[in-house]
Amino acid sequence: MKFKKLIALVCVLALAISVFVGYAQIKSTGPVSRTDTLIVDVLSGRVLTPDNFNVWVTTWRNPDRGIQQLMLEPLWIVDPATGKVINALAAETPIYNNDYTKMTLKLRKGMYWSDGVEITADDIVYDVQLVKAKEGLSYHTEFNDYVNKVYKTDKYTVVFELKQPNSRFHTFFVDRWGAFRPFPKHIFEKTKDPLTFKFNPPVSSGPYILKDYDPAGYWTRWELRKDWNRTPTGVLYGKPKPRYVLFYYYGPPEKKVLAQVQHQLDMTDLTSETLRAILNKNKTSRAYRKEYPYVVNVDPCVTGITLNTAKYPYNLKDVRWALTLAIDIVEEIGIAFDGMATMAALHIPPTPAYTKWYYKPMEEWLKNFTLDIEINGKPYKPYDPDAPLRLAKYAKQRGYEVPTNPQKIKEIFGLGWWKYAPDVAAKLLERNGFKKDKNGKWLLPNGKPWKITIVTGTNPATIDYRNVFAVAQLWKKFGIDVNVLTTETSATLISNGNFDASGAWPAIEPWGGHPDLYRTLRAWHSKYYVPIGKEAVGHASRWHNAKMDKVIDQIEKLKWDDQNNIKLGMEGLKIAVEEMPSIPTVLYPGIVAWDEYYWTNYPGAENPYCMPYHHWPNFKYMLPFLKPTGRK
Amino acid sequence: MLILSFVKKYLLPRIIQYVIVIFIGTTVVFIIPRLMPVDPVQEMINTITQKGTYMDPSAVEKLRESLKELYGLKGSALSQYFNFWGRLFKGDFGPSLSQFPTSVTHLISVSLPWTVGLMLVTILISWIAGNILGGLAGYFNHTRWAKALENISMLIRPIPYYIFALILLLIFGYVIPIFPISGGTTVGLRFTWSWDFIVDVVKHAFLPALSMVILGAAGWFQTMRLVVSNIVREDHVLYAKAGGLSEIKIGFKYVIKNAMLPQITGLALSLGQIFSGALITEMVFSYPGIGGLLYNAIISGDYNLIMGITLFSIIGIATATLVIDLLYPLFDPRVRYR
Repeated sequence: MKFKKLIALVCVLALAISVFVGYAQIKSTGPVSRTDTLIVDVLSGRVLTPDNFNVWVTTWRNPDRGIQQLMLEPLWIVDPATGKVINALAAETPIYNNDYTKMTLKLRKGMYWSDGVEITADDIVYDVQLVKAKEGLSYHTEFNDYVNKVYKTDKYTVVFELKQPNSRFHTFFVDRWGAFRPFPKHIFEKTKDPLTFKFNPPVSSGPYILKDYDPAGYWTRWELRKDWNRTPTGVLYGKPKPRYVLFYYYGPPEKKVLAQVQHQLDMTDLTSETLRAILNKNKTSRAYRKEYPYVVNVDPCVTGITLNTAKYPYNLKDVRWALTLAIDIVEEIGIAFDGMATMAALHIPPTPAYTKWYYKPMEEWLKNFTLDIEINGKPYKPYDPDAPLRLAKYAKQRGYEVPTNPQKIKEIFGLGWWKYAPDVAAKLLERNGFKKDKNGKWLLPNGKPWKITIVTGTNPATIDYRNVFAVAQLWKKFGIDVNVLTTETSATLISNGNFDASGAWPAIEPWGGHPDLYRTLRAWHSKYYVPIGKEAVGHASRWHNAKMDKVIDQIEKLKWDDQNNIKLGMEGLKIAVEEMPSIPTVLYPGIVAWDEYYWTNYPGAENPYCMPYHHWPNFKYMLPFLKPTGRK
Repeated sequence: MLILSFVKKYLLPRIIQYVIVIFIGTTVVFIIPRLMPVDPVQEMINTITQKGTYMDPSAVEKLRESLKELYGLKGSALSQYFNFWGRLFKGDFGPSLSQFPTSVTHLISVSLPWTVGLMLVTILISWIAGNILGGLAGYFNHTRWAKALENISMLIRPIPYYIFALILLLIFGYVIPIFPISGGTTVGLRFTWSWDFIVDVVKHAFLPALSMVILGAAGWFQTMRLVVSNIVREDHVLYAKAGGLSEIKIGFKYVIKNAMLPQITGLALSLGQIFSGALITEMVFSYPGIGGLLYNAIISGDYNLIMGITLFSIIGIATATLVIDLLYPLFDPRVRYR
C-alpha cells in the first residue's frame, strides 16, 4: 500500500514538473505568418544565453541569430560577392594623416537607434572609451594598444589619435562576420557593469528590432523597424521586404531538409549530400548555382592543409612541395566534395574578386614558376592550368552536366592547380635522404617509417574534415603512413603546435571584399613566431621568412587603398608559393539551400548582388531585394 | 532504543557514506576536466576568430592573459580548488567560461526543467509499463500474447536509439506530419499557465518522450519478465499454488512483489541519472535540455559548467542511492529484520 502511494506521489510530481517546464518568461505576439516572415537557419546552433544580446563581451553569444545581421550596423562592411567595402554608419572611407597616427571618422547623418535617439559621434567616443576602460569587453586590448585619445570635433566627426602608426586601424570596425560595431551610449551609460548587462530588450542600429525569442534558445524573431529608412540599410538599399525574420535552429542537416521540404525553412546551409536530397524532394528548393556544382564561389576562405613547419620534416621546403605534388587535386575534390569546389593554387580564395585582383594577373607567373629541380634536363614547372578541365571531365563521368567551354569551366572550377606528379615528389624526397622500403612505403632519412598524423575536428560535415580525409587517402596512395586524428581538442592541439598536419585553413582569410592582403600575410611575420608548446599567435603553420617580413613591413606603410598594395600582395603570394608553408586546396565550397516557395530573388550565381549567406552581417542588405511570392 | 539503534547502525553510516561519495565525486569532477587537452581560453579565441572576426595578432597574447584572469584560471590548481569549495558552499558554481560572465547556475536553471520534465515522465511511464507488462508476461509466460510481447520487445530493444528516434521523427514529423520536428514550444506562443501552453509543451515533448518510453519500456519489460519467470518456479510460489490461492493473489503478492526489488533499485539509479540529460534525444529532436549544455561545456573546456552539471548528477545518483537504501526496509522484510 505504501509503495502504491509512493508511486502515485511520484507520478503526480512528474506530471506537475512536466507542466511547469519552461516556466513563463517572455511575452510573445502571435504565431508565424508565412506571407510576411522569412525563416532562416542559425548556423552556430542553439543559443545558450537567449536572453542576452550584449555581444560586446569577449565571449560567444551566437551573433548570427540576427544580432549581427539585423540588429546592428557597423561603420564599414565588406561584401565578398561584389568585392566592395560599403560605408554603413560611416559616411565615407577613413581619413588618415600622413604618418597614420591619426584617423578621422565621418558618420552618416540622420541615422537613429531604434528607440529614436540619433547615432552621433558621442556614441563612438563613449564606446571606445568604455571598451578601453573595461577589461573583458571585445577590442579592449586592441584599443588600449593603439588608441591614445578619441574625441569628437563635431556631431558627426570622430578623431582617433593613435599611440603608434597604424594604416589599418579602421579595420577593427570593418565588419566581415565580426568587428567592433557601435552600441548606444544612452543605454550603456546607465548600466553598472557592461559585462553582466544583458542589453535586453536590445536597441537596434540595424533595420529590425527584437520581436521575441525562445527561452530555450532555438529561435529568435525580429520585426522590421517602422523607421527602417533611418538606418544604413534603408538609405542604401531601400525597404527590407520581410516584415518578420525568424532565425530558427532545427538541428543537424537532415532536420533542416525536413523543415525546408515542409516550407518551414527558407534559407539554410547544408552538406553536399543533404543538398542533393533536398533538390530531389522539393521542387521549390534551389542552391547558389541552379545547376551543378551548386556551391557558393564567393566565400572569402581558402581551405586546405596546414603543415607544422616548426617540426621536422615539414620544416623542409622540398618535403612540403613533395606533399603538394602527391595530391591529385581532381581526386581530392572528387573524394571530398564530389567535384563541387573551386580549386585554389594560391593562399587566397579564388572568389571572382580575388581572381580579378590576383589569380588572373599572376597566371603567367604561375605557368612559368619552376621548382629548383630538373626533370628531363629542364627546371620543373609544377603549375597545371588544365586541372579544371580534368575536374570537369571527372564531373561529366559522374553524370553531371558541365559546360564545355574551357573559359566557363575555369570560371566554375578555378584557373588551375599544381600538377599531380608523384615521380617529381619522390625525387624531391630522395634528394633529402628519404627512401622507400620494399613495400613501397616511405622511410625517413634515419630509416624509420614516415608517419603523418593529420588533426581535424569531429564533424564530418565540415570542409576541413573532408579535406583531411581526402588528402590522407592520397598521401597513403603515395606511400606515406597517414593517420587521421579526429578530436574535439583539435583547436588546442593545433594552437600548441602538437600536430604534423591539420585541416586548419592554410592561410588567414583576407578581408574578403578588398585587395589588401595585410590580414593574410601578416600572420606569417617572424615577430609572431612562437616555438612548439606555446600557443600560436600568428598562423598555425608557424612558418616565417625574412623575405615575407620585408613585404609585410612595406605593406604596413601603405594605405590600404594604395595601388601598390596589390603589387606587394603578389610579391607575398609568390613567396608563399615558393615556400608552400601550407597547401591550399579549394575555395570554401559553401552549400546553401533556398526555398522559393514564399520568397524569391535570392542572390544566386546568376545575380550575385550580395553576399549569399543568411549568417553573414550582409544579410540585411539582401532583404530589400527579396520578393514575396504571395503564397499563403 | 530501537530508533537509536536504527540511526546508529543503519542511518548514520549511510549518511556518512553519502557525504564521502559526494566529496570524492566533486573532487574528481574538479580534477578530470583540467586533465583534458582543451584550453578554455584558446577554445574561446578560436570560436571567435574561426568565424572570421579579426583579432590583431599582437593583441592575442594579452587577451589570453586577460581571459585567464577573468575566468579565474590564474594561480595554482590548489588555490583554484579551495576557491571552488568556497564558492560551492555559497551555492555558486562560478561563471561559465564559454558563456562568460553568465553564471553556471543560470545556464543550468534554464535547461534543467526541460530535462527533468521529459525524463522524469518518460522514466516513470516506461518503468511502470515495462514492469507491469513484463510481470504479466513472465507469470503467464506460456500464453500467446506473452510470447508476442516478448518478440516485440526483442525486436525493438536492439535498435540503436538514434535510428529509432529518427524513424519516429520521419513518420510523425514528415510522412504524417502531426508532431513538430523541433523545439520545446511553438514560435510566438505566449508562455502562460494556459491550457494551450500545456498542450503545446506536451505536443513538442511527445515524440522525444515516445522514443524514450518505447525503448525504455522494452528494457524494463525484458528484465522484469526474466526475474518473474524465475520466481514463478520457486518453492514458495509452488506452495502457494498448492495451497489453492488465486492466480492474481499469487501473481501480485508472491511473484511480482518479490521481483520488484531489483527494479526499484534500477528505477532509483535511472532517476538519479536524469541530471546527466539525454543528449541524443535532444540532438535528434532539437529538444532543449541539459545534455546539449553538457556537450557544449565539454567541447569548449568550460570547467565550471562541466563541474556544475556533473555535480548535479553526482548528488542526484548519490541521493537516489541513499533514498533507496533508506526505503529498502519498507519493501524487503529481510532488510527490516536485520
